[in-house]
Amino acid sequence: MSSDKKKMSRGDLGLQIIIFCLGFFYAIIYYIAVPGVVDLQAVSDQLLAYITAVLTAGFAIGVINLTRVHWINIKRKRATWRYSIILLIALYSMLVFSVIASPFALDPNATVIPASVIQFATPIWEFLYYKILVNINASIFSLLAFFIASAAYRAFKARSVESTILLVAGILVILGQAPIADLIWPGFSIIRNWILAFPNTAGQRGILIGAALGIVVFSVRRLVRYPW
Amino acid sequence: MIELVPGRISQGALLIIVLVAVFALAWIAAKKKLKTRGIPGLETIDDWIKEAAKLKRPVFYTPGTGSIGTPDTLASMALLEYVAKHCAEHDAQILVANSDPQVQQMTEDIVKAAYTKAGKEFSTDMVRYISTRQFAYSAGVMGILRREKPAVNFFVGDFQAEALQIAETGRTEAIYQFGGTTNLDQLPFFTTTCDQTLIGEELYTATGYLSEDEEAISRLVGPDAGKILAILLILAGALLATLGATILIDILGL
Repeated sequence: MSSDKKKMSRGDLGLQIIIFCLGFFYAIIYYIAVPGVVDLQAVSDQLLAYITAVLTAGFAIGVINLTRVHWINIKRKRATWRYSIILLIALYSMLVFSVIASPFALDPNATVIPASVIQFATPIWEFLYYKILVNINASIFSLLAFFIASAAYRAFKARSVESTILLVAGILVILGQAPIADLIWPGFSIIRNWILAFPNTAGQRGILIGAALGIVVFSVRRLVRYPW
Repeated sequence: MIELVPGRISQGALLIIVLVAVFALAWIAAKKKLKTRGIPGLETIDDWIKEAAKLKRPVFYTPGTGSIGTPDTLASMALLEYVAKHCAEHDAQILVANSDPQVQQMTEDIVKAAYTKAGKEFSTDMVRYISTRQFAYSAGVMGILRREKPAVNFFVGDFQAEALQIAETGRTEAIYQFGGTTNLDQLPFFTTTCDQTLIGEELYTATGYLSEDEEAISRLVGPDAGKILAILLILAGALLATLGATILIDILGL
C-alpha cells in the first residue's frame, strides 16, 4: 500500500530487521540442521515458549476490554445495560471460582487458601462449568442445524445455470448418502462417490494450492516489507 | 557443520524457484504497468460504507476465531486497515468483534490509528473482545448483529463452524455482507450468505487490488504467475505418471 513507500524511521527499521531475522530463522530451520553444534529445533521451541508466555499475558487485555465496554454500558444506562451486569457478574465470579477450585487452581494443595474455602468453591465451580457453560456451548453449536437448513434453502434455488448444477449435484449427493438410496437405485451411491472424489476434490485442491501460494507470498512480502 | 534435512531439499528448492519467479514477474509487471484480473466486489466496498454512513447504521467487521499467528487473520488486518480508514473518512461507525485478545489489541490499534488520522473520535466500544470460546464468540457476534443492526458486515479471516451462524444472522439485518476465508469447509457458507466472498488466495491479494498505487496492482501478476507454474507442474506430473515415469516423484522426494 502507499504507506509502505514512506521512508522508514530508525525504530521501524530496527523492528523490521528483528521481524525478518526471526521469520527467516523459523523458515530456515525446517530445511537445515547443525548436528553436534546446536539443536535448532530446541532453540525454536524455547523461543516459542517465550512467545506463548507473552501472548498468555495478553488475555488480560481481553478482560480489561470486556470490563471497560460493559462498565460504560451500565454507567450510561444503554439499552442492554442489564445484560452487561449479568456478563460482568458471570465473568468475575467464574474467574474467582476457577482460581480457587478448577483443575487450573492456583493453590490446589490448600497452602494459602483454606481447605474449607476450596471445598465450598468446588461444587459451585463444577455447577457453573459442567451444568451451565458446557450445556450453553452445546446449545449454541446445535443451532447450526437450523442455520444449515436456511442456508441450503437459499443456495438450492435454480436461478442460474451454476445454481442449477449445484442443486442437482446437492440432490444427488444427499440421495447417495441416504440409506434408502441403494434400495431405490444402486447408481446413487456411485454418482455420489464420483462427485465427491473428482469434481469436488479437484475444486478444493485448486483453492488449497492457490491459498498455499498466497500464504507463502504474503509471508515473504511481510518479512521484507514488499509493497502491494 | 550445516546439513540439509533429507526429504526437504526439493521442497526448499521448489519454494525458492516459485518465490524468485513470483517476485521477478511482479517486478517486471510493475515496470511494464501490466494489468491483471480484478476481484469482483472489492470496488464496491467504499460505496457500501458510504451507504452505511447515510443510513446512520454501523459497519461491522470481524476477523474470526484465528489467533494472531494465523495467516488468514493477518491478511484480514490489512483489509481492516482499508475498511477502518474509509469508515473514518465517511463518518461511518465501525464495530469490530474479536475472539482473541492479541488480535483485539491489534484491531484496536488499527481502528484507533485510522480514526485519529482522519481527525475523528475513537471510542473503546468500537473494538470489542467477545470470547476465546468459539460458540461464546458466535453468540456474542450474533447478539451484536441483532441489537446494533449493522448495514454492512465484513466476515474476513479465519472462521470455523461459527461462520454460518454469524453470516446467516447477519443476512437478516444487513444490506451487504462481505466474506472471506481460506477454510474450505466454511467457504460454501460464505458464498451462500454473503454478497461478495474472497475465495482462498484472494484474501491475501485483496489489499493489493484496493491499493491506489498502480504499480502495486501490476505486481499482482506475480502470484497469478505462481499459480500458472503450479498448474504446469501438476500437468507435467499427471502426464509423467500416466507414461509410467517416476522422475518428478523422485525429484520431489529428495
